[in-house]
Amino acid sequence: MIIVLLKVRALILMNKNDIKLVLFLFIISIVLIILFKLFQGNGSSAFVYHDGVLVQTIPLSHNDRYVVTGDNGEVVIVVKDGKIKVDEENSPLHLCSRQGYISNTYESIVCLPNKIVINISNDELDAVVK
Amino acid sequence: MKKYMRLVMLLSFSIVLSILESFIPLFNGYIPGLKLGLANIIVLIVLYKYDTSDVFFVSILRVIVVGLMRTGLFSVNFFFSLFGALFSASSMIIFKKTRLSMIGVSVIGSICHSVGQILAAILFLKNNNMIYYLPWLLLFSIPTGVFVGFVSKKMLAELEDKIDF
Repeated sequence: MIIVLLKVRALILMNKNDIKLVLFLFIISIVLIILFKLFQGNGSSAFVYHDGVLVQTIPLSHNDRYVVTGDNGEVVIVVKDGKIKVDEENSPLHLCSRQGYISNTYESIVCLPNKIVINISNDELDAVVK
Repeated sequence: MKKYMRLVMLLSFSIVLSILESFIPLFNGYIPGLKLGLANIIVLIVLYKYDTSDVFFVSILRVIVVGLMRTGLFSVNFFFSLFGALFSASSMIIFKKTRLSMIGVSVIGSICHSVGQILAAILFLKNNNMIYYLPWLLLFSIPTGVFVGFVSKKMLAELEDKIDF
């Protein structure tokens, strides 16, 4: 394992400090991912914000289709089996509709050109707090 | 004068790379904001061949020009790119002084780019949930940073005896 790592290192011209840095960052990110996963649960509702203002609260309990207005026109949001995704929007790269379904707390879909943000939460109070 | 000719030429390379990489989808967008960071190749070359101020010159002008071409100046996208570029440029300038090689510096740059973008999301979108994606972005910044650093190291070695910077 270590020999392979050393050979790869020589191949891609890294020095010892680089390897230390890469390993350190790798461990940090894995630990953070596991920590976040531990605190994550199934979301019960989604909050849709346009330009920081809450425009729609969507329960994830039943399948439905919602239309909100973003900066570039209509954004179609679809809820299916407790998961939510952006189905149609008008933007240059379609990053947010390509992201697909999300369903867990802390996950979010961001559509920068439309200034639309969808956050998932498992309490209804979130809307009031924000 | 000659120096600025070279810098502007490098700047145009980085603009082309910036636009080119937006056509390369990584993981089909499952992790928002993930990209290769090819433009950083040019920033790294400038970092190792020119002065500190020139690094900011190239990276900020690139953000402005790409912003003008794609989304317009002072849009949310523009500030996202600006935050990313400023964070990565300044962090690379700081870490160049350490014992890291070009590849390590590149990894630092790509990680700080992610951090800058998440900060932009928190500031401009008031979306604290974006922190959730930070560890994922960090994880994928490592291979892309190594790749970009490797390419710039090779490129610099190739160009060293062909061009006088």
